[in-house]
Amino acid sequence: MKVHLKIKRFNPEKDKKPYWGEYDIEADEGDRVLDALQTVKWTIDGTLNFRRSCAHGICGSDAVRINGRNVLACKLLIRDAVKNGQITVEPILGLPLIKDLIVDMEPFFAHYRAVMPYLINDTDPGERERLQSPEERARYDDTTKCILCACCTTSCPSFWARGEYVGPAAIVQAHRFIFDSRDEGAAQRLQVLAEPDGVWRCRTIFNCTEVCPRDIQVTKAIGEVKRALITGKLD
Amino acid sequence: MSTLFTTVRDTLRYKGREGQWLWVLHRISGLGILFYLILHIYDMSLAYFNVPVHEQLMALFKTPVFSALEMVLAALLVFHAVNGVRVALLDLRPALWARQQLATRLALIITVVIAAPTIIIMLIYTINAHLSAAATTAIR
Ligand code: FES
Repeated sequence: MKVHLKIKRFNPEKDKKPYWGEYDIEADEGDRVLDALQTVKWTIDGTLNFRRSCAHGICGSDAVRINGRNVLACKLLIRDAVKNGQITVEPILGLPLIKDLIVDMEPFFAHYRAVMPYLINDTDPGERERLQSPEERARYDDTTKCILCACCTTSCPSFWARGEYVGPAAIVQAHRFIFDSRDEGAAQRLQVLAEPDGVWRCRTIFNCTEVCPRDIQVTKAIGEVKRALITGKLD
Repeated sequence: MSTLFTTVRDTLRYKGREGQWLWVLHRISGLGILFYLILHIYDMSLAYFNVPVHEQLMALFKTPVFSALEMVLAALLVFHAVNGVRVALLDLRPALWARQQLATRLALIITVVIAAPTIIIMLIYTINAHLSAAATTAIR
């Protein structure tokens, strides 16, 4: 099928402002939008820049805004993306634009590091691994699925309004450890999240939940952290 | 100010669903209510500090434009309260997340159910007030 692609282009060395690059390509309706971007780069304009690595929804590097909504370009089929023969592709919002579809992810990863996304437990497990029951493992299963693509954080109006807000992705990562029975750093993480730029900037808008390519129940995870802060209990 | 600009610009650029637009409406209604409260406190304080101006203002508030604004305010107030309950419930009961689209629709329906009769009553009252005012002037 014929597809008209509108891609937001920006070269900081040449352009004052981003502009629309328009390309007509031939694509299979079962292709992914990422394939269409590659067709443009490989056959029409080699200067087009975007990130991608695995092309299979695992690495989380190709989060973009397609038809106005965050998505991984490698997970969306052309047939589901085309509207009146056209697809628009733009960079995600809220992070500094570097070039074309590439944004600076550093602020995002700084928030990720702020919640201490690693196991905190100083006790000696002895000769064996730290044991956990299937129920204890299931408690935080949903939030282990995050691939740090930033779809959620950059769909959040609170994050657009204030880049200092830790954002949904960092809270999901914190949740993954806070509710892990082997971890002992919950108090430290909750302290970070109780700050003004922590969970309370979440206005329960659900943009994050709606775009998560891993179907993580993001707003629910944030709600559970809010509740832990209110009640002082991890349940 | 630049924060406000970025937020408004990005909200318009991003294609969010009901949750995003209810949030926008919540902000607008909140600001509307705040504006009303400030105006109300100012004008009530004039009843003590500057009676003539207070009376002028009261006359202004009885004009049809302000009556209409008052009805809008009533609707915004109802929406703000109902939506506030929705958000608080979803925050306190995160497991309800799966019902959030239903919750947005319910919030709007409840708003209409409460606001519509309120506005009708206000409308009847306002029309009657204007009619009797007109009648009094006619008699004079
Ligand atoms: S390229 Fe790896 S997630 Fe899309």
